[in-house]
Amino acid sequence: MIKGRAISSGKAEGKVLKLDGTFSFLGGVNASTGDLNVREGNIAGKVFVFPGGKGSTVGSFVMYDLMVHGKAPAAIINESAETIVTTGAVISSIPMVDRIDMNVLKEGDDVIVDGDTGTIEIKGTKSVKVVSSAILRDGKILILQRPGNAKSFPGRKSLVAGKIETGEIPEAAAAREIMEETAISVSAPDSVLSPVFVREDDIIWEVHPFLFKVDDADPVLNKENVGFEWISPDKIADDPSVVPLTHRVVNEMIMGLK
Amino acid sequence: MYLTREEEEILAGEEGESSQKAMELIVALGKIYGADDLVDITSAHLSGASYKTIGDGGLKYLEDMVRGGAVVSVPSTLNPIGMDRERWKEMHITPSFAEKQLMIIDLYGKMGVRTTCSCTPYLGENVPSLGDHVAWAESSALSFVNSYIGAKTNREGGPGALAAAILGKTANYGLHIDENRKPAVIIDAEIEGSVFSYSMLGQAVGMAIGGKIPYFRGIDPTVDDAKTMSAAMAASGAVALYHIEGVTPEAGNFDLNGLETIHIGNKELEEAYGKLNTTDDVQLIALGCPHLSPKEMRDIASFLKGKKKRNKDTEIWFCTSARVREECPEEVKIMEEFGPVLADTCMVVAPIEGVFERTGTNSAKAGNYLPTLCSQEVMCRDVSKLMDVVM
Repeated sequence: MIKGRAISSGKAEGKVLKLDGTFSFLGGVNASTGDLNVREGNIAGKVFVFPGGKGSTVGSFVMYDLMVHGKAPAAIINESAETIVTTGAVISSIPMVDRIDMNVLKEGDDVIVDGDTGTIEIKGTKSVKVVSSAILRDGKILILQRPGNAKSFPGRKSLVAGKIETGEIPEAAAAREIMEETAISVSAPDSVLSPVFVREDDIIWEVHPFLFKVDDADPVLNKENVGFEWISPDKIADDPSVVPLTHRVVNEMIMGLK
Repeated sequence: MYLTREEEEILAGEEGESSQKAMELIVALGKIYGADDLVDITSAHLSGASYKTIGDGGLKYLEDMVRGGAVVSVPSTLNPIGMDRERWKEMHITPSFAEKQLMIIDLYGKMGVRTTCSCTPYLGENVPSLGDHVAWAESSALSFVNSYIGAKTNREGGPGALAAAILGKTANYGLHIDENRKPAVIIDAEIEGSVFSYSMLGQAVGMAIGGKIPYFRGIDPTVDDAKTMSAAMAASGAVALYHIEGVTPEAGNFDLNGLETIHIGNKELEEAYGKLNTTDDVQLIALGCPHLSPKEMRDIASFLKGKKKRNKDTEIWFCTSARVREECPEEVKIMEEFGPVLADTCMVVAPIEGVFERTGTNSAKAGNYLPTLCSQEVMCRDVSKLMDVVM
C-alpha cells in the first residue's frame, strides 16, 4: 500500500498505462475511442499514470466526453494534480490519487486505486520499510559502496540504509544502522522527511529518510559495504550508480535544516 | 480542510447529487491549492459557454447537470458564446453548430444563469463591490473586478465557477486571502494614454512578469483602458490582480519596500507590438475584445461617421453585449454600414477558423488567442489604422 493524496473519490482496479510527460486531454486522446494521440495505446479502463495535466481547460470536458462514451480510464494517478485533470476526474467520477512517485509504477502493473483514502496498491509487489540516513560533515554527504552480492541494489551506491525491524521506530532504526555500518554514533536527527517509495523489481521500498550532522566522525565499515566517499550534495545527481531519489531526498532534507 | 456540518452533509449527498458533485469539486480544488475552508460568495461569472470551446463533452456535462437539478444560488452571468444568437448566419456559422450552441444557452438558462453572454458583465449585469468574495472565470473580467473594483476571486475554470455558483461558496485560498494580494513587482509605466497604448502596456507587462501581481506607477486609466489592459495582461501573462497607485482601491494597503521596479516604455511596447503582428493584410477586422463599452461604441461611430467602406472583401465585426447594443441605437446604425454589430459573441470563441485566415484586431488579448484558438495570422493596430485597410 502506497500513500498519496485523495483527489477524486471512488475505488477502481486496472492495468497501468504510463506516460512520462505532462498530458493534455484536449488533443492528447480521441474522446470517442480512448486512443492516445501522443503514443500507441488506449486509456479506456486503464489506470492512467502521468506526472500531471497541462494545456487547455477544455481538457476537463474531454474527460467527461470519454466517460460518456464508456472510454474513460478506470482511475488516474498523478505526481502533482492541477485544476484541469482534477476537475475532469471529479465531474466524470474517475477515482484519482496524486503525490505518488511515478517511478514506483510500471506499464502493465495491476493496480488498485482508492480515491477515498488516497492510497494505491500494486498487486504482486511487497512493501518493505527501510531507513536511509544522510551523514553530513563539513558540507559533504557520506555515500557507501554496496557489494556486488548485496540483496538490494547490488553494486550501487547509497546513503546508510537498512531494514526497520518489526516493532522498531524508524528513528531508532536509523541510529542502529549507522552504528552497525559505520561505527558512527548519532543523537537526534537534524532533518526528517515523510517516507518516499522506491521500486526495485517486485519490492517497493518504503524509505524513511533522515539527516544527521556530525563534526569529525570517520566511518569504520562492517561487511555490508565495501567502500565509502564524502561527496558534495549537488554532485549526487551526477553519479548514475547512486540509488534512485537520493539526490532529491538529500537536498530536500538540507533545505529543511534549522 | 475544515468543512462546517452543513458542508459535510452536502458532501455526503444529503442535498442531492448535483450539490454533492459541486462540493466534491470545490473540495478537490481547495485541496490542491491548500485551502483551509470555504468562503461565501456574492456572485459568479461562468466560462465554458461556446460550443466551439466545450464541445460535445461539455454539452453532455451541462445536460447531466440540468437533469440532476443543478441551480445556481448566487447571481451568475455567462461568458460569450460562439455566435450572435439571432444573426449567426452573417457569421458563416453552420446550422448544426447553431443548434448545439442554442442548446448550451438553454441549459445554462435552466440552471438560473443570466444568459446575457458577455465578457464585461462588470459594466452592468453583474457588478461586485469592494471586498466581495466572488467566483469568476474569464481571465479579463476577473482581473478587472479583482483590481479595479477590489472584489476577491481566483482564476476559476468553467466547471469550478459553476460548482461555486451552485453552492454559493468557493474554496478559500489564493486571492481570497488579503496576505496573497500584495504586489510582487513595481511597474514604472510610460505610455501616451490611448486605449491601444493600454492594450500594448498590458501585453508588455504580461510578457515581463508572467503571473505576478504588479503595482503600477505613472498611469491613470479610465474604465475602458483598464478593461483592455486587464485582458491583455491575463492573456500574455497570467495576471489576475494588479494595483495602480492612486487609482485602484487596495493600492494604498501595501508596503512596497524592497520590491523590484521594472520600467515599461517605448522599447517594451514596440516589442509587444512586434510579437502580436504577423500579417499586414486581413480578411476580417474584429473589434470588441473585451466587448465594446458604450463609450467605445460612441468613439468608433464618431470616427466612422461620414466615411465609406471601399474594400468589400474585408469583413468587419463589432462585438458587444446585447445590453450595450440596445443602449446605443444611433451608433449601431452608423457601424452597421461597415459590418454587423454582434451581441453574445466574439472573434475568439466563434468558429472563424476555416472561414478566415487573417484577422485584424485592436486587442492584445485577441492577438494572443487568435493564432492558437482560431488558427489566424494577426494584425494588431489601433482602430483608425485598422480601418485604413477598408477605407
